[in-house]
Amino acid sequence: MSQKTARRARAQQDAARSIKAMRRKRWSANTKLTLGLVVVVMLGLAGLFLFTQRGGGSTADAELVRADSHRLTSAADGKVTVVEFLDFQCPGCGAMYPDAERIIKEYDGRITYVVRNYPLPMHNHAQAAARAAEAAGVQGKYTEMFDKLFQSQQTWSAETETPLATFESYAQQLGLDVGQFKSDMDSQAVMAKVRQDVSDGDGAGVDGTPTFFLNGQKLSGITGYDSLKSAIDTALAR
Amino acid sequence: MKARGLAALLTAGGVIGLIASFVLTVEKMALLKDPSYRPSCSINPVLSCGSVMVTPQAEVFGFPNSLLGITGFAALTVLGVLSLCYQGFPRWVWLAAQTLLTAAVVFVHWLIYQSLYEIGALCPYCMVVWMVTTTVFWYVSLRNLAEKTSWGKKLAAFHTGGLALWFLAIVVLIAMRFWDFWSTILS
Repeated sequence: MSQKTARRARAQQDAARSIKAMRRKRWSANTKLTLGLVVVVMLGLAGLFLFTQRGGGSTADAELVRADSHRLTSAADGKVTVVEFLDFQCPGCGAMYPDAERIIKEYDGRITYVVRNYPLPMHNHAQAAARAAEAAGVQGKYTEMFDKLFQSQQTWSAETETPLATFESYAQQLGLDVGQFKSDMDSQAVMAKVRQDVSDGDGAGVDGTPTFFLNGQKLSGITGYDSLKSAIDTALAR
Repeated sequence: MKARGLAALLTAGGVIGLIASFVLTVEKMALLKDPSYRPSCSINPVLSCGSVMVTPQAEVFGFPNSLLGITGFAALTVLGVLSLCYQGFPRWVWLAAQTLLTAAVVFVHWLIYQSLYEIGALCPYCMVVWMVTTTVFWYVSLRNLAEKTSWGKKLAAFHTGGLALWFLAIVVLIAMRFWDFWSTILS
């Protein structure tokens, strides 16, 4: 009985050894070198990527409002500043849009309302839309493009390909120089602007859209007109 | 690599390169007919053949580069199929292949440089051509070197390693050049 078990164990060991030998043979020096190179470089790039990501998201140099941030309305006294981080393709931002418009109209000149980009990776056209708005901004029509993008959110969001032709037609309707609009959309400056917005958002703790800040404090529970209005009223009364 | 393997590689490389060049030519014609046309490979600001195709670098010799591709890759496919069927080409055939492929690989690397540092965009079909040209050049060179020299034989023992090193160098350059762009996309 025990002899049989021992024999079986030895046979198994032999089999395992020969499999190992075969495997060793199959992985030639060339294959090892190739796989080694690929693994080392990919790990290096991934590591560097994660490292710089963390560095870029540091709170230290994050600012909620920068000199070139878009203000939909400005208050001379600077008492109340609302900052909205938004994604043109996010349905929640689309739903918030008419409410925010109403607030901006009612408090025109009494508050400063800043909008910043926070295109979420899950929305396939959000990056392009953010760049379209910024490119229109280069020609002084940011607000117009902003309105257009939200008013027709459902149209371009549903397109399967990047809706560049649609954005260009908006640019045309707004009387922009379409050629310049196209090249601005792809320009380093516009890309850097969007990137800056996102990294400021990351630094400020934005984790979804829309996210609101009032005088530097992150607001929670902003669901529409009433909640935003009461937050602003409280701050104005202070 | 055995002769049959090389023959298969030449054929596959020829066919893939031919398809890529053909598609690029068709896209170029569509773009000429209608300047607002968006080519199928314009995916985002960096991965975009539209912005690459309209540059002067896309027609260095006064006609679209892709026409060179069609010619060259068609010839490569024929060479590949013939070497699948027959063995022992005259020596001049391999020498001619080596000369043309050397010119091609130099041209492709000039285009890589232009694409990365002058144009600032990557065209997916062009990248297919980069890869095919580099791979075919590498294996034909190894074949010719291994036939004549002993160090060529040693190098041929590490054929995929050398090629991986070459490709990874380009991957690293691309990653570095468009680092910010990749981080906005992936973050």
